Amino acid sequence: MSTLLSSRTLILDRLRTATTEATPQEPPKSLRQYLRSGNLSAVERTQLMAERLREYDAEVLECEPQHQLDAIADRLRASKRLRFVVPPGLTSSWLLAGFDWKVDNGLAHDAIEQCDGVVTEAFAGVADSGTIVLHHSATEGRRVISLLPDFHLCVLRASQIVATLPEYFDLCTRIPPIATYISGPSATADIEMTRIKGVHGPRFLNVILVHDEAITNTAIAQGRSR
Amino acid sequence: MSQVILDPRVAPPFPKAALPVLRNPQLRKNVAHATDVIQAKRARLVAEKTDWQELRTAAASIKDEALANLDGYLQQFEERCVAAGGVVHWAWDAAEARRIIIDILREEQASDVIKIKTMTSGEIELNPALAAAGIEAIETDLAELILQLGQDEPSHIVVPALHVSRSQVREIFARKMGLENLSDDPQTLAAAARTFLRKKFLSVPTAISGANFLVAETGSVAVVESEGNGRMCLTLPRTLITLAGIEKVIPRFKDLEVMLQILARSATGERMNPYTSVWSGVAPGDGPQKFHVVLLDNGRSAILGKHTERQTLRCIRCAACLNTCPVYRQTGGHAYGSVYGGPIGAILTPQLQRLEHAQSLPYASSLCGACYEVCPVKINIPEILIELRAQVVNKERKKVARFADPMYLGMRAANWFFTDSRRFRFAQKWARIGLRLFTGKDGWIHSLPSLGAKWTMTRDLRGLPQQTFREWWAEQPKEGR
Repeated sequence: MSTLLSSRTLILDRLRTATTEATPQEPPKSLRQYLRSGNLSAVERTQLMAERLREYDAEVLECEPQHQLDAIADRLRASKRLRFVVPPGLTSSWLLAGFDWKVDNGLAHDAIEQCDGVVTEAFAGVADSGTIVLHHSATEGRRVISLLPDFHLCVLRASQIVATLPEYFDLCTRIPPIATYISGPSATADIEMTRIKGVHGPRFLNVILVHDEAITNTAIAQGRSR
Repeated sequence: MSQVILDPRVAPPFPKAALPVLRNPQLRKNVAHATDVIQAKRARLVAEKTDWQELRTAAASIKDEALANLDGYLQQFEERCVAAGGVVHWAWDAAEARRIIIDILREEQASDVIKIKTMTSGEIELNPALAAAGIEAIETDLAELILQLGQDEPSHIVVPALHVSRSQVREIFARKMGLENLSDDPQTLAAAARTFLRKKFLSVPTAISGANFLVAETGSVAVVESEGNGRMCLTLPRTLITLAGIEKVIPRFKDLEVMLQILARSATGERMNPYTSVWSGVAPGDGPQKFHVVLLDNGRSAILGKHTERQTLRCIRCAACLNTCPVYRQTGGHAYGSVYGGPIGAILTPQLQRLEHAQSLPYASSLCGACYEVCPVKINIPEILIELRAQVVNKERKKVARFADPMYLGMRAANWFFTDSRRFRFAQKWARIGLRLFTGKDGWIHSLPSLGAKWTMTRDLRGLPQQTFREWWAEQPKEGR
């Protein structure tokens, strides 16, 4: 261990010397003149989110809050899959009859791998880049459950959608210990720059956008004050 | 392809290494196609960002702020990462980093390890060291897998196998995976890689990753990827080792709002890459329960101490400079003799290594400035190239051997002729007569003998005009002047 300690000391010493020698008198300041927020209405924001998701080859189904369960049933049936894993905090009424539900209370990787799909909520959506943000809470699930199954159904409410990435970071008054930002299904362009959907992550990303815009503005205000 | 050497200490000089590529039309076609596609996508997505220049300025200033207080931010990162359950190691050079990683793997009794694409692992030549220690490294990025199975070397920072065509990929996969009837459809090839690696992801208990960003404020690591192989390696194993250059640190979590906006757009021409993972230390019950970070210096602290060169450390490895570089677009990456090719490689390699191992690299550029224009963290690459050229010349100036160098003698002779108008006129006259023999009817010189052939081998030379401006001026009637 003594050699490790000495490398630490050596590196830090060299860095201190280097920074005092070559740093200009005026210490550099972060210059932040870029756009923090978009000027889209709640409806436009949701539209943009749907558009960007579709550009990534994600399937998007929009619905009113009262039709949310129908939308979930519709997507599950259309997927022609039976066995789904869900995070422990997911609303129990979403676990519709006719499907085989596995609740993840620390399932083994092999058991998750046997599932055909996963259903989760999200922490937020970023319209500008069509990004779904997971902070892996009890309704979003551990990282592994939204990774191994080939089909991911994510329910996102319009009130959770922000226009720009900086607006999402403004929502993070508490910094998440783990986070995953998902922009479309797994993809690669490694062979002759041909975009191929799905290498290792879920090949099918389905998003249900719930139009609860009526409460959008208050929800965001609450989110910020949290 | 087996003669490709990406070790700057033994690689041939750039002009020599570039020749086989220039004579390989298939390779040049592959490189041109790939760089054209990425450039077009990047241009479209950068154009839609009305605040692109402001984002570049912000990104550069965030990195400058981190570099100006690098020791402080690294210690903060260490403290927060350890508090979150991680173990932090410091490696002075490549050998020490290799030793640390192998020691951890031995303690885990690992016989194999899954890897996310990491340029830093290539820089420290980790895979051969793992093999020597009896540990099998399994590359999981599709391009890295193609290269590993094909015993080839990376030629691009973001798309390392862009020089390999789909039929070559088919051949490699068919041979190594035992799939004789594989087609060369990219979708099928990707599916073959998925099946091949899925078993490894579920069974190998140790993984190695690089890092795109280290966040000092939270002790978090951020990894940006497309395929999901990264998430597999970061989530499934019991033990994760992250190898990161010390320059990867940024001060605050919030700084990611800038970095993530510029990185994917510059690297692959996407608004966001499919997957970005951020984690601090160990999350109980979720992902690896043992986490190590190896912080690597390997020449970086020396770069930090140099005024002009420090900005090199802002680099976020997006490879936009490679795609736009007229030299890289002709030669591809292997000619640069290092895992870091293109304009950024031309400045990074001579600084990470001793200059004499890579002294042809600062000349592997036309100084056109396209790299500076696309760089999302505003690294003035031409300025650093010129600085490095000056260092090469200053070194050569001290050598006795220079008196045998035709370039040196030619420059001395030119110096003698150019500093006196009579000598200059004399030289012009005789050059005109001498070159007439080689000048074609079209006024161009297509071929010169001996040393001159070095020029005409790759380009034509305009013949000297039969009258100089001074001669013409002297002929004009006085009143017309």
